Amino acid sequence: MSLRRWWAWLALGLVVVVAVAITVWPRGGERSDVQRARDLAAELKCPECQGLSMGDSGSTTARAARADITRRIAHGESDAQIRQAYVDRYGESILLKPEAKGIGLIVWALPVGALVAAAGGLVIALRRWRREPRLHPTDADRRLVESTRSPTDQP
Amino acid sequence: MKHPARWIALTVGAVVAALAVVLALQVGNDPRAEQNKSTLVGKRAPSFDLATVSGGKVTARGLEGKAVIVNFWNSWCIPCKQEESALKTFWSRHKDDPNVAMVGIVRDDTAGDARRYARNHGMNWTIALDPGSQAALDFATRGQPETYAISPDGLITGSQYGPVSVGNLETMLASTKSTPQ
Amino acid sequence: MTAPLGYLALTVGMAGAISGISILAVGLRRHDTRLLRLGRIAVFVVLGAAIAAVAVMEWALITHDFSIKYVADNNARSTPVLFTITGLWAALEGSILLWVLILAGYLTAVAVKFRARAADPLVAWATVTGFAVAAFFFALTLFAANPFTLTPGGAPVDGQGPNPLLQNHPLMAFHPPMLYLGYVGFTVPFAFAIAALVTGRFGEGWLADTRRATLVAWGFLTVGVILGAWWSYEVLGWGGYWAWDPVENASLLPWLTGTAFIHSVIVQERRGMLRVWNLSLIIATFCLTILGTFLTRSGVIDSVHAFTLSDIGPWLLTFLAVVAAVGIGLIAWRGDRLRAPGRIDSPVSRESAFLFNNLLFAGLALVVLLGTVFPLVAEALQGRRLSVGEPYFDRMTVPLGLALLFIMAAAPALPWRATSSDVLRRRLVFPAWAGGLAMLVAVVLGVRSLTMLLTFGLAAFAIGGIVRQFFIGVRARLAASGERAPGALTGMVRGNPRLYGGLVVHLGVVLIAVALAASSGYGAKREVRLRIGQSATVDGYRVTYLGSTRSVTGQKTTVKARVRIERGGDNLGTYAPAISTFPNSTEGIGTPSVHTGALRDVYLTLVSSPNQRGRVAIGVLVNPMVVWIWIGGGVMALGTLIALAPTVRARLRRDPRRGRLASDPDGGAVAAEVREVEPV
Repeated sequence: MSLRRWWAWLALGLVVVVAVAITVWPRGGERSDVQRARDLAAELKCPECQGLSMGDSGSTTARAARADITRRIAHGESDAQIRQAYVDRYGESILLKPEAKGIGLIVWALPVGALVAAAGGLVIALRRWRREPRLHPTDADRRLVESTRSPTDQP
Repeated sequence: MKHPARWIALTVGAVVAALAVVLALQVGNDPRAEQNKSTLVGKRAPSFDLATVSGGKVTARGLEGKAVIVNFWNSWCIPCKQEESALKTFWSRHKDDPNVAMVGIVRDDTAGDARRYARNHGMNWTIALDPGSQAALDFATRGQPETYAISPDGLITGSQYGPVSVGNLETMLASTKSTPQ
Repeated sequence: MTAPLGYLALTVGMAGAISGISILAVGLRRHDTRLLRLGRIAVFVVLGAAIAAVAVMEWALITHDFSIKYVADNNARSTPVLFTITGLWAALEGSILLWVLILAGYLTAVAVKFRARAADPLVAWATVTGFAVAAFFFALTLFAANPFTLTPGGAPVDGQGPNPLLQNHPLMAFHPPMLYLGYVGFTVPFAFAIAALVTGRFGEGWLADTRRATLVAWGFLTVGVILGAWWSYEVLGWGGYWAWDPVENASLLPWLTGTAFIHSVIVQERRGMLRVWNLSLIIATFCLTILGTFLTRSGVIDSVHAFTLSDIGPWLLTFLAVVAAVGIGLIAWRGDRLRAPGRIDSPVSRESAFLFNNLLFAGLALVVLLGTVFPLVAEALQGRRLSVGEPYFDRMTVPLGLALLFIMAAAPALPWRATSSDVLRRRLVFPAWAGGLAMLVAVVLGVRSLTMLLTFGLAAFAIGGIVRQFFIGVRARLAASGERAPGALTGMVRGNPRLYGGLVVHLGVVLIAVALAASSGYGAKREVRLRIGQSATVDGYRVTYLGSTRSVTGQKTTVKARVRIERGGDNLGTYAPAISTFPNSTEGIGTPSVHTGALRDVYLTLVSSPNQRGRVAIGVLVNPMVVWIWIGGGVMALGTLIALAPTVRARLRRDPRRGRLASDPDGGAVAAEVREVEPV
């Protein structure tokens, strides 16, 4: 019975590993130019709309920018060069993903750091709780709990 | 101060207080106000090579050595209509000055509509068409009307987002003559 | 004539709230039961005043009384009746009026529910807190954003009409009230949390007392957020439903902490742990509703939905600071008495899963908050203008969301306290295989994105777990009672509405997760230029341009194209994307037209009106599975409704002294939630 269960889990693990491997397996060839253009447009903010990227917006500027990015890629410019060209025109606020340097580091590092620290703290606490012997409540504890728990006993 | 809850609460309090100060600093700060200034001011003006409504051509190179006012507009935008008389007044003052040029670039409009509008409304300065919106993009426009001043040596010395007055235009023109910082 | 009535109503409301605070404060001080009962009555004054103020405003809107500035700004004689009525929440001043009305409604519900316990200090303090919040919002309407201000220079002949974006879809009638019912509803658990801290009774009593109110608020907020996404999809015309816009984030933030709260309270109810955490979460949730209102209403952040600049910013910020200071101060003051009595025995247990759930929700809230306020911080600290948008939020939230999906799938199978690997294996083998097979199928069908693969796998895992739990429950009931299957199902759900309602909510979340992944990955987007009679094919859909009409109403010029959509020879109907130009706006406003399908939406926008040769540009987007986001939202709402049903034991006992529940360790709602159907 138990052996059969283990087989079920091993087989499942195999299925998951295979599925993930097929998905992330590097496929030959570089990203297509179309894909590059789409990714770049999605990273740039549409200056005349609010909150939309050049990729999503249907505005004049966004359409011109998509054409411009495609043209620049065809001219052999790198992603970084194209990004820089837009920063030069519109300023840093054109980038929807702040660069992870200077003050921009906060927005990337703070959540990751906080999560890792909190998860670490949680794991340490769980392990400590596990090692500690179980405490048994004393009568004083019970009285304290009762005093905070029964609101309606008061007149 | 024995229990960690106190310390955590106080830390959170400090963070919240800092955030509140940051937010308080921003109150009354109109995020749109900043838009009035283009990041291009002080930089080299983008080059352009455009067809005009009258069948000619206008290029950045051809205007070198002149102070140039570049105005993005179109036939359907109301703020463009608001600034029309200011542009006309300004142009009537300076059209005979060989060192000053003014180019209206059509943004987000059909060539026919723009041509008809310019003719009917007596816009007698150079009106250029920008079919792929490349010039609009190169000038980092965010809408129309948007106006730029270019100095004779090809630097952008002034810009305005939204309708201009005659005063604005004169200030921009003056900025092309002083050395940019 | 109407304006003075409005002023009067607001003044009475504010006076009612303040007198309520004073009477209750004196009553609490003197332990005077009569005063405490009297102070409660002030709630009805507040409610009456709020109803009167809203009625006056609606009357002014319906009669087009343009002598009131708000009406002149947000209504016109040509405005349809529906949008005349919804004009109440079309702009800042009116929406605060709606806020006040909803708040008064919640306060009244609390007063009625706890009428037998009016003299209980916990209830009295909670009522005081509620009155204080109400007084603040009345003050806001009176002094900072008065909706009854007269139009300077007398009534104009016609008003300006509502913002064009707010008057072209009926969803506008539902989205803001739902959102406010959610936002404002969190005032109730907040008030009880403050009361618990003040009275020092931070056991489980206040949680049991506010469980329903919290769920109601959470359910409304969920529906409000989903409706907001739907509105954005149907109206804004860029083809998406969520742009991580500051206003959208502002509605999401309290939802994230609120969701963390409704999970972590279960741990406190069962094990008496996480007291500080739960108090902090609910105070944070309330603060985030105020912060969200501040961010969107004070004009510090530029956004599609942001209201025009107003001077309520400093008011809201001050209020936020006071609330945060009071909450944090109380927790710091009570810190030593808040020590939790329990502990977690095993890292593989239900309570530890709840802890990790909370960690992830708090992480998500931090990411969204940071991303939203970061441009302000960067500008304040360095004077730099930076943007944070979709690419950032996608990168940061997707891993957290996937981790949450995993916990959601696995956690309901975990027993409390501790478990053996044998039990886990038995409970998880079917759901886990469902997930594994879904991944396999996805790969075979050509999925080549890890995010999508994991989403589909985890979604199937979660659904497998939910199905298993329902199946085993029904089977056990059938075996025990010999009922028929449908009767057994309803009987089972009614026996433990919290558990099964929660599982139904989870099912809705799964639907949404799958729809989000599918719609972000598989779509087609093309812009086609067509003359009359010409057609183009995008992703198997054939669109034909049939012609267009131009109409001028008032100041608005609308060009509407007629476009037929066909697939495989089937005519799917004629749709009419439009583009409108308004004199005051620099950009044309597009109105999309959407063919909704079970698997794919065809989303049409008119990109440019006919040129001289009669050619138009039409944006064609094929968005997979978007409709399942809305369906998932409906399922979540249904699950919330089920969870709100009274439990069997609560129905049996109908004890007027409901507070007893908490002091009874095996009592009612709490125990029913975790009854195991399967022997462990």
